[in-house]
Amino acid sequence: MKTGWVVIPALIVPAPAFATQYLTVEQAQRALFPSADRFEPRDLALTDAALHEVEVAHPAPVARPRPSSFAADRAGAVLGYVYVDEVLGKQLYITYAVGIDTAGTVVGVEILEYRETHGYEVRNAAWRGQFAGRTAAAPPSFGTNVKNISGATLSSRHVTEGVARVLAIHALSGH
Amino acid sequence: MTKLTHCGDRIIDEEAGPVSRALQSRPGVWALGLFALLSVLATPAASAEQPSVEDRLEQRLKDLEAELASVKAELVQLKAERAAAAPVPAAAAGAMAASAPPSPLGGLNLWGYGEIYFTQPVHRPEAAQADLARAVFGIGYQFDDRTSFNSEFEIEHAVASSSDVGEFEVEQFYVDRQIAPWGTIRGGLFLMPFGLLNEHHEPTNFYGMQRNFVETLIIPSTWREGGLQFNVHTDSGIALAIGATTGFDLSKWDFTPAQPLYTNALELGRSDAAPLQASHQELALANAQYPAGHLAINYTGVPGLLVGAAAFAGNAVAPVAPVALSGNYLVTLWDTHVRWTPGGFDLSAVYARGAISNLAAANAAHAGASNPIPSAFYGYFLQAAYPELWTHDSYRLAPFVRYEYYNMGSAYEGVAGPVVPPPFAGTGTWPENYDRVWTVGANFYVTPHVVVKLDYQSFDVNRDFTRIDLGLGVSY
Repeated sequence: MKTGWVVIPALIVPAPAFATQYLTVEQAQRALFPSADRFEPRDLALTDAALHEVEVAHPAPVARPRPSSFAADRAGAVLGYVYVDEVLGKQLYITYAVGIDTAGTVVGVEILEYRETHGYEVRNAAWRGQFAGRTAAAPPSFGTNVKNISGATLSSRHVTEGVARVLAIHALSGH
Repeated sequence: MTKLTHCGDRIIDEEAGPVSRALQSRPGVWALGLFALLSVLATPAASAEQPSVEDRLEQRLKDLEAELASVKAELVQLKAERAAAAPVPAAAAGAMAASAPPSPLGGLNLWGYGEIYFTQPVHRPEAAQADLARAVFGIGYQFDDRTSFNSEFEIEHAVASSSDVGEFEVEQFYVDRQIAPWGTIRGGLFLMPFGLLNEHHEPTNFYGMQRNFVETLIIPSTWREGGLQFNVHTDSGIALAIGATTGFDLSKWDFTPAQPLYTNALELGRSDAAPLQASHQELALANAQYPAGHLAINYTGVPGLLVGAAAFAGNAVAPVAPVALSGNYLVTLWDTHVRWTPGGFDLSAVYARGAISNLAAANAAHAGASNPIPSAFYGYFLQAAYPELWTHDSYRLAPFVRYEYYNMGSAYEGVAGPVVPPPFAGTGTWPENYDRVWTVGANFYVTPHVVVKLDYQSFDVNRDFTRIDLGLGVSY
């Protein structure tokens, strides 16, 4: 007996309204520094020449040379900093955030937006957990202290490069 | 349209008049204008016939008012345009971070890959070949945050025409619609989620110049079907794909080829000797009377580990036989795969097994055939690589070794197996449809997107197939 195609419509689920944005900037800030009571936008006091040096030392296919930066405060005391940046996955940009404490150590990485059909594994908490504890002096390195994701090689490589670049920028920013 | 030119720290409106430019660049000129007004007021009347001083003053005042109004309007416009053109402070950009452009080209995505190789059979140097094996161009478009289109077009063997060996193929052509943060519906012509290579077959993604035999002869290489697929993934690293697609067509099967379907390893990889490679339809006027189903699951929740399995089942179009055939020809294929990167190693393995049912009558109707349809076929490989044996700048050397076994006809129904045609019987020139293959070599990455490959491949059964491969692969 022939199996019909009638099974196919059952797979088509009504689409709820949503965006591909997994976290807003505010949600990522809260995830990285949950005890903070304020996130203050700040200017990065870096010259274009300094940013160029970072680009040479830590190349990453980013959307813009200067990531957004926020200071995470609690009762007026700085807990750390949040950087929001965009780096290329395979063909589309990934928006991610890096939390860095006052000692210059990564406290976490969050994926805000992932737009491609392959490579979403960079959102896995266990994979992102590999960035915790990295510093500008001991940055994340793809294939050595940050594992490749099979089937998401470019996305995992580029996010790793992006986090290393953010650490270098943070180190130069004098905080 | 007003054109703005940056000049040092100033912005100059090139279409503004000389007065307004002067007013913009030198606010003190306003004082000169006032001085001119006072001069007019102080000028005596020239004659009784001329307009009175009051009339002339009134006219001059009106003229000045008009010019001042014009200058004010230009200044307002200039300020607005200057504000729009000014760079956004980094802090203020924070609020815009989540609205970054999805792609460097807006909604359009372009990519591609390709490979060129030279292959030298060790025992048959006259069979050496060089080939631009494939040039693939990808075009995609992101319609909105939830809907995207992807396509790949492939030219094989450099020239595609009626008198050449090359082919032009549509390798992928599908639309993805995200229905939830965790799920996507895919429709069109898409790659099947089997093994480690099929969905990630760019030359920079695998070791060795040629794709491994298990994922060429047992799982068809770049196996694609037309249909629908539902993809689900979780933050814990579980990905699930379930779908309904077109299936296989056994009416294309050649039971009695007069010549061997392949005489060396290169021909083997692209011949129609493998059961599913010979009967896949690639959505080219595909017979769609029998929908097939597939299910794939992968787990990547542990960094550096991928474990997965996939299964396919669907009836195939019946083979052609000189007798009446009945019943269904169920094609099944399943695989399990693992990739693990402990320390500096990259270890992987794939096992794949396929079966076709109800073949006794069709094969018996072609008794003595050199190429009956197998009822079972399988293969596996184990591979170890060291991806960063040596690195310098963007250079990277990745040696590897792989052992694989394939058997394109491990069981037959209706017949004992292939019968070598008389002209070839006893000559050893009719190849066996199974083998054990060792491959050792290295990928040398010039950049992550450009790789030079060199390997030596040893065949244990079809010893004449042993070869050296050298090639260049690109992916972007």
